[in-house]
Amino acid sequence: MKLRNSLAASAAVLALAGTASADTMKIGITQNNVGVDSYQTTYEKAFIAAAGANANVEAVVLDAGGDVARQIAQVEDLIQQGVNAIIIWPTNGEAVIPAVRKAHQAGIPVIVTNSNIAEAGFDFVKSFSGPDNITQGSRSAEIMCDKFKAMGIADTAQILQISGQPGYTTAIERAKGFEDRLPEVCPNVTLVETQPGDWNREKSQKVMEAFLVKYDKIDGVYAGDDNMGVGALNAAKAAGREGIIFVGATNFAVGYEAMERGEYWGSIYQSPVDDAEAALQTAIDVLEGKDVPFLNYFDTPKITQDNMGDFTKPVF
Amino acid sequence: MATLTKQRIGSVLAKQGILIAFAVFMIAFTIANPKFLSVDNLFSVVRSSAILGVMALGVTFVVISGNLDLSVGSMMSFSTIVVLDLHDKIGPLLAIPAMFAMTLGLGAFIGFLVGYLRLNSLIVTLGMLSAIHGLTLTYSGGQNMDIADKEGTWFSAFGQGTALGVPVPILIFIAVAVFLGAVLSKTAFGRKVYAVGGNGTAATFSGIRRARTVFTCYLISAACVATAGLIQASRSMGSQNTVGQGLELEVLAAVILGGASLLGGSGTIFKAVIGVLILGFIQNGLLLLGLQFYVQFVVTWVIIILAVWLDIAAKRGKLWSPIA
Repeated sequence: MKLRNSLAASAAVLALAGTASADTMKIGITQNNVGVDSYQTTYEKAFIAAAGANANVEAVVLDAGGDVARQIAQVEDLIQQGVNAIIIWPTNGEAVIPAVRKAHQAGIPVIVTNSNIAEAGFDFVKSFSGPDNITQGSRSAEIMCDKFKAMGIADTAQILQISGQPGYTTAIERAKGFEDRLPEVCPNVTLVETQPGDWNREKSQKVMEAFLVKYDKIDGVYAGDDNMGVGALNAAKAAGREGIIFVGATNFAVGYEAMERGEYWGSIYQSPVDDAEAALQTAIDVLEGKDVPFLNYFDTPKITQDNMGDFTKPVF
Repeated sequence: MATLTKQRIGSVLAKQGILIAFAVFMIAFTIANPKFLSVDNLFSVVRSSAILGVMALGVTFVVISGNLDLSVGSMMSFSTIVVLDLHDKIGPLLAIPAMFAMTLGLGAFIGFLVGYLRLNSLIVTLGMLSAIHGLTLTYSGGQNMDIADKEGTWFSAFGQGTALGVPVPILIFIAVAVFLGAVLSKTAFGRKVYAVGGNGTAATFSGIRRARTVFTCYLISAACVATAGLIQASRSMGSQNTVGQGLELEVLAAVILGGASLLGGSGTIFKAVIGVLILGFIQNGLLLLGLQFYVQFVVTWVIIILAVWLDIAAKRGKLWSPIA
């Protein structure tokens, strides 16, 4: 899919801009797997919209369909097309490094979006634009801890963790952020056990059912995203266990609705629209020669039942 | 007299090796954590096994007829997403039959390819695994599907309801198992399934229409998948597009664990149920043990191989039987 702005629009901008550069920026993006989940679907729409709204940008939007080989071929295509910058949402943090290096050697700046590539490839990348998952994990710990303090159980609470798919960077980083931060803010809260829910609501529900049998005292559950958090909540509701504080991350519509019903305490608000716009802006800033930090995070704020009115319901 | 009793015990052992394995695991897990045998836990394991279980019942027919069905995982995602989407559009009363019709359509297509065009079932269903996944994504546009009004619908009954104190998914599982068990062991069609899988040529010569039998097996499998999708959708009232991903292998493992031969011609519904329960209780037991999850992958398959070995050893009457 290609987006080209009309010549008339470019001309109008040029006329207005006067002495500004006559070149439009041609920016190529190769995404991970659009359509596999709502987040990526929304991301693509937002990216196309943002690129369309900027008359100086011509976007070439590609999707690797989760296939490493196809993504590598797409990067090579983009190099051949002579784009000014390449944005890549890696299908695999290790395997795409040679392709990224090739783009770098061809003099095309590469921006990584959403999930970073492995450290070995950092030299070939101008900037990473995306969420800071370690911060997300630590913010979830703070949400949980603040709630326990308000309830007066910060000295006795026992919690469980349902993490994302084993081996996923996002899953590892969120768990690490949470586990490191929790003892700093609430030293007496015990994290009793962690099991993976594989980003899957049904799997998470199963794990929670086993937890409910195993532990008579559960004060809180931290899930690596709201999809799993809601699965755990469903299990608790089915078992008639009340008063458990659920905290997730990546606020999904189902999580937002459960918060409205007062069943789910809080999460981290991560908007795919912000994610897409941040990636495009980072690429534009790099091309305009601005000073861009290597790790260019966009903000992912805390959302709880108390402040959810400030946020619109996620579309995914 | 004494030898007769010994023979009897021997033949019981030989027939029920998998049951013995099942009992051994149950005892071992109970010793490790007494809560394992609590009524709550038993119900919760069987309830969550029901989805896998209903699918395994259908696949048992396909496997006995000498074929494979690797498409059931993504077909289950399809039926779950479709019924959730239609629920809000045309209401549950119409959504459920519409979803069954669409899923049966997929089953008929596979049955046609394998039965009438005689294409290799491994290739066909492996292809359908990803084709149906693509179909689901196209249908949903990649979005998660959720029922808007979760409280105000009777749709939750199939996954979350109870009748006579027993969770509805368990009742559905039992009902489908009893019905299909009778079909397989008491009807002429059931005998045809065994005949086609056991010796296709002989079956043809005895006047059995093989294509039609195989076609019907895939229809049964699709009907089971649709039932599983209904339970799944009703249980979580919302779903990702990937909800059934990977289930095809677990289903196949349960069917094989239940003693059905991949070569066709043997297997029973009852043993498939036992296979499903073994898988469900292993997963639950390992969670209750709190074993680190990287290890769980390994241990699960060690236990499955152990169970298959116990079953085979009981049949042969000896533990050690190398290929001569």
